[in-house]
Amino acid sequence: MTVEPLTEDQSDALQELANIAMGRAGKSLSTLLDSFVILSVPRVTVVDVGDVADTVARMANAPEIGTAVRQAFFPTVRGEAITIFGPEGCREIADLMGHEGELGDSQEQELLLDTANILVGAVLNGLGEQMETEFKYTPPSILAVRTPLQQLLNAENLDWTCALLIEVNFSLDERGFTCHMLTLMPENSLDYIRRTLDEMLEDL
Amino acid sequence: MTVSVLVADDSKFARRQLLRTLPEGWDADVRHAKDGQEALDGFRERQPDLLFLDLTMPDVDGFQVLETLSQEFEHYNVIVISADVQPKAVERATELGALAFIKKPVDGEELTNVLGQHGFL
Amino acid sequence: MSTQAWHASPPLEYIIDHVNVGLFVVNRDFEVVLWNRFMALHSGKTAEEVVGHNLFDTFPELPQRWLQQKLRSVFLLKNAAFTAWEQRPYLFKFPHNRPITGGVDSMRQNCTFQPITDDSGEVAYVCVSIFDMTDASIYQERLQETKRQLEEISVRDGLTHLFNRRYLEACLYTEFDRVRRYGGRLSVIILDIDHFKYINDTYGHPTGDTVLIHLAEILRNNLRASDIAGRYGGEEFALILPNTDPAGAATLTERIRHAIAEHPARHGDTVVPFSISVGISGLTDAVPEPEALVKNADLALYRAKANGRDSVVRYDEIAADDLSDSQ
Repeated sequence: MTVEPLTEDQSDALQELANIAMGRAGKSLSTLLDSFVILSVPRVTVVDVGDVADTVARMANAPEIGTAVRQAFFPTVRGEAITIFGPEGCREIADLMGHEGELGDSQEQELLLDTANILVGAVLNGLGEQMETEFKYTPPSILAVRTPLQQLLNAENLDWTCALLIEVNFSLDERGFTCHMLTLMPENSLDYIRRTLDEMLEDL
Repeated sequence: MTVSVLVADDSKFARRQLLRTLPEGWDADVRHAKDGQEALDGFRERQPDLLFLDLTMPDVDGFQVLETLSQEFEHYNVIVISADVQPKAVERATELGALAFIKKPVDGEELTNVLGQHGFL
Repeated sequence: MSTQAWHASPPLEYIIDHVNVGLFVVNRDFEVVLWNRFMALHSGKTAEEVVGHNLFDTFPELPQRWLQQKLRSVFLLKNAAFTAWEQRPYLFKFPHNRPITGGVDSMRQNCTFQPITDDSGEVAYVCVSIFDMTDASIYQERLQETKRQLEEISVRDGLTHLFNRRYLEACLYTEFDRVRRYGGRLSVIILDIDHFKYINDTYGHPTGDTVLIHLAEILRNNLRASDIAGRYGGEEFALILPNTDPAGAATLTERIRHAIAEHPARHGDTVVPFSISVGISGLTDAVPEPEALVKNADLALYRAKANGRDSVVRYDEIAADDLSDSQ
């Protein structure tokens, strides 16, 4: 690691903030889908641009080959949210999302985009609430289809040196469904986060 | 009489936050544990009057602490403080003997009420 | 609405009514509370008829279950949601007003669903915006059609840049005619990648593509000036070798197989070894037309697969075997 964007105290506070955010997100998702939802404890790390692909490929229970959906978020903190699905896509939860009957290609795509959108929205909402800001985001789009995880992020133009990576698993146990969501916030967009963390630490 | 308190949470920040939220002037002697194992060790060394317990800790998590306590001790006072607020989590903690469940970030008023309710003030 | 009444800027209601975007707002009971002019014009139902009523009562043809869940997600999660015409051509089936349809029978729409929160921070309304994407979809269709036509007239395979099947077949005819007219020799090689489906399933399609490209490169590097190499099918390749007899073709094949063994494909950090099965056929007086030359090579390829793959079979050798078997 070349730069230390966060001190140990800031990291600790950010981890706690992310935990609370995921707790909130899990609750709203479980209400929406009317199912018990598991959002894992988020992993918060700082990664060098060269290590991102490896870090992503080594996520807990990550599929070998995945389909990825991306959305950009802004304005106070800018970054990308990427949701990674395994080979089954979201077929296991199609009915929970309001789709009925057979799933054609377009419907499967729409389902992937919709699921990614609600997951990203719930998580960003949770984070935004804790950081006292509102996130806006772009419509979701498909980044890669059935591609080995190592290469997923090659499709992205990674023009930063290091970034804050928050990754979380999202599962519905009773449906056997899992997917992964990660947010990447490049170094130069971390000012707001640092300020918020410092304020939180000062309040102690 | 001084209340002996043990706070178990893997986040230093969370432990400090909780301390800040404790009622003003409360006569409490507070020890810290940074994971489930330390919490159990602390409990066995000198049983506190009250344990504030986080659920999501690495290795031995909050649920495991509660289970162990229920097996080893006749009587224990635990208030769970957690980010995971789904009904199932609350249910499970209560079944394992938790007195109360407070969601993070902790609200001072709520905490004071709960402490009062259970006779710790 | 008199324009003299405006001071600094036109009233919001005017703007909402005149933007070229469909705008409507529903409350938590899915009752419509705002319906702009775009919606009225295209749906044929005025604001007076729609506002105050349940959206699904007024428009029973809407995909109710899906749309309710979509709206619910906005109310509950307080996030925006989206739909795109590429996945869902339209939400409301409105006629479009394009002079040339390009095969598009109704308006193509992108939609966004925005939460509107009240003072208590809860989402009280969802504002739905409908964007007419018909033009974009028509251009997209045209682009695809143009691509298809380009492929028709092109001679190259997009992925490997070898010749495509159409061109190969044309070349085959030319070479066949040449030999029939002036004499000489001609051979055809048909080869394919062993267990290609397994490679795709195990490593993913991008790696499968890399293997195809890699093999194409090996073929290019080992051909002589007059040889013609092309992609015949998904994982099948064909070589047309003028002035070559089956023995010469076999020699070339060995060079290629050696190169494959020495240089497996690489995708990122993954090394993907592979092998090929090969069928060879040579033009003889007994071959009635060009298709038969290919058919013979195909039969030989089939025999190579049956032999356990990673092998080479010459049609003239099968024919000899069969002949000797029947004697």
